[in-house]
Amino acid sequence: MLKYILKRLALSVLILLGVSLIIYVLIRSMPVSFIENKINEMNQGGATIPEETIENMKALYGLEDNSFKGILKGYVSWLWSICKLDFGTSFKYGAPVLQVIRENMGVSFAVAAIATVFEFLIAIPLGITAATHQYSVRDYVVTVLVMIGISLPSFFFGQILKDVFAMKLGWFPPSGLIDATADYGFFGKMFDYIRHLFIPILTVVILSIGGRMRMTRTNMLEVMNSDYIRTARAKGLKEKTVIYKHAFRNTLIPLVTSLAGLLPSLFSGAIITEQVFDLPGIGNKAFQAMIAADIPFIMGYNMFLALLSVIGVLLADLMYAVVDPRVKLG
Amino acid sequence: MENKEILETNENEEILEETGLKVADDSIEKNVKLMSPMQMVLRRFFRSKLSIIGLIMILSLFAFCWLGPVFYNTWQPDEVDYTPKTDFTKTEIELPDGTVFTQVVESKDSKNSLAKPSLSHPLGTDKNGYDILARIMSGGKVSLTISFLSVFIITFFGVVFGGIAGYFGGVVDNIIMRICDILMCLPGFPILLIVGTLLQAEEFGIDMKYRIYYLMGFLTLISWSGTARLVRGQILSLREQEYMVAAEAMGYSVPRKIFKHLVPNVMPQLIVSMTLSLGSMILYESSLSYLNLGAPDKYAAWGTMINATNEIDILQNYFNVWGPPGICIIIAVLGFNFIGDGLRDALDPKMRR
Repeated sequence: MLKYILKRLALSVLILLGVSLIIYVLIRSMPVSFIENKINEMNQGGATIPEETIENMKALYGLEDNSFKGILKGYVSWLWSICKLDFGTSFKYGAPVLQVIRENMGVSFAVAAIATVFEFLIAIPLGITAATHQYSVRDYVVTVLVMIGISLPSFFFGQILKDVFAMKLGWFPPSGLIDATADYGFFGKMFDYIRHLFIPILTVVILSIGGRMRMTRTNMLEVMNSDYIRTARAKGLKEKTVIYKHAFRNTLIPLVTSLAGLLPSLFSGAIITEQVFDLPGIGNKAFQAMIAADIPFIMGYNMFLALLSVIGVLLADLMYAVVDPRVKLG
Repeated sequence: MENKEILETNENEEILEETGLKVADDSIEKNVKLMSPMQMVLRRFFRSKLSIIGLIMILSLFAFCWLGPVFYNTWQPDEVDYTPKTDFTKTEIELPDGTVFTQVVESKDSKNSLAKPSLSHPLGTDKNGYDILARIMSGGKVSLTISFLSVFIITFFGVVFGGIAGYFGGVVDNIIMRICDILMCLPGFPILLIVGTLLQAEEFGIDMKYRIYYLMGFLTLISWSGTARLVRGQILSLREQEYMVAAEAMGYSVPRKIFKHLVPNVMPQLIVSMTLSLGSMILYESSLSYLNLGAPDKYAAWGTMINATNEIDILQNYFNVWGPPGICIIIAVLGFNFIGDGLRDALDPKMRR
């Protein structure tokens, strides 16, 4: 077990190196004059980016030297500073990259975490009923509705919800996180957050239920066809016991494992949803930074995402062995 | 369900017996309908209503985008309607002493922008005075072409790399699979955003009209790993089967063994995953266009047209501007998903109903 974990850790480091190389090459292919133009644009727009920051950045990523040796040197020096957890200073936000990520992660995490909880709470029962009533009207209705959910483009669906619930009905505020006139106490503030986050969370939940429900249904069907379920029925157990005690428990294995794979999406922020509802989350910040060619932020954010997905894959594999005793790691 | 099926087969046998009696001297081949695997798949596919609905959705979308412009050609997608229009906005102003004025503001516009649906513009016009129906047709061409192209390229890469990895194994397999691992951990959408920004640089000299093609091309480069894994896994299990030993004994060349004997057996899974990824490619493309990383306004795709919702006025009052392209995206993705699902059930011999 330990040997396996160590091997996987070594592999993860290798993967991260590969990802960092790809991101670095991508950034390096940005012409220097293009970056300077973007910075000028930002300066004209009211920002004040000191000459020093720019020079520092050029030195850090080795942007001036275009020979092979220079590129290599830039990559190594960048990697070294990452190892020291120094991701540089974002131009756009005028603060260290890690700080920007930390400060804006809260909203994104809240949206993703709440949405995930609801996604599981709704999708699993739906999946079970669809599987136990296979090919019935109920199965078809659930399947079709869920398919429509999968096929909705998030930006379009988000805009429709915004139009109907925020604009036409006026039940919820259309965008932002908190009203400007927020001078009330803790509970009032919480209530305001909930009001603002309701539609974004609804959007995310409806879009993601489909995948989870289909996963539950497929696994449940597979389990329901196995011999021990027939045995359980032959013993004369109640149908409820058969489904929830015998079948569903085994369906849990892939569901729990997939939980680990959700790690990146919990922290990375939903770029489009946050953009539609103008939430100050990490996804929205990253989008703005990427459009503005804010190199330190782009590189830091993408490495952060890659790290999350590497950890997610690793956790999913380990989780599999923990949940299912039949799996031997080696 | 099972009982019904048994009944059906019994009936068939009875009919066969009857016909067999009637034409006793005819050979059995004439009376028994032999079905190739392909025919069986097709029959199972068309038995499902959802797959037929999906097929109809996609076919009508294709007809709409490619045949539509033939019949509806009063407006070109990049043609601005320069009919001047005058708008009157009435506001009632109440003075402190109680008298009420009605103020009428007359605004003139050189082009017929944001027109409501009418006979000359069935879906109205957008902010720039472009005809929406014509633009949906041309945008659909772009979206559908791009999704098909990228899925084919991804499948090509996936089959080649997955096939090589699965067939040769060992070091080659290890290298290709590690590359797959790296690609899987690459944050796809953010990277596309960076590339989209990058392509704006004048140094590359890329016509913005074609930027979305470059972007999706880049997407294919980083997203073949899923297909490659699927192909590899399948080939690993097929490699051990007897017919491959036979192929070995016949002395066939390696490419022939891979592409003639192994790949066709991976085809069922491959076709299903291709159909399903057609939908996700359309979603990818329209998301990028929505974030303004696609073609400029003049050559809009579906996603770009929905981008107009960033103006609150359009979002609230002009559903005819952003609704129809969104509905088209949903029809396309839903259609591909229905077909993919139907194909999966039809191609899986275990899924007999």
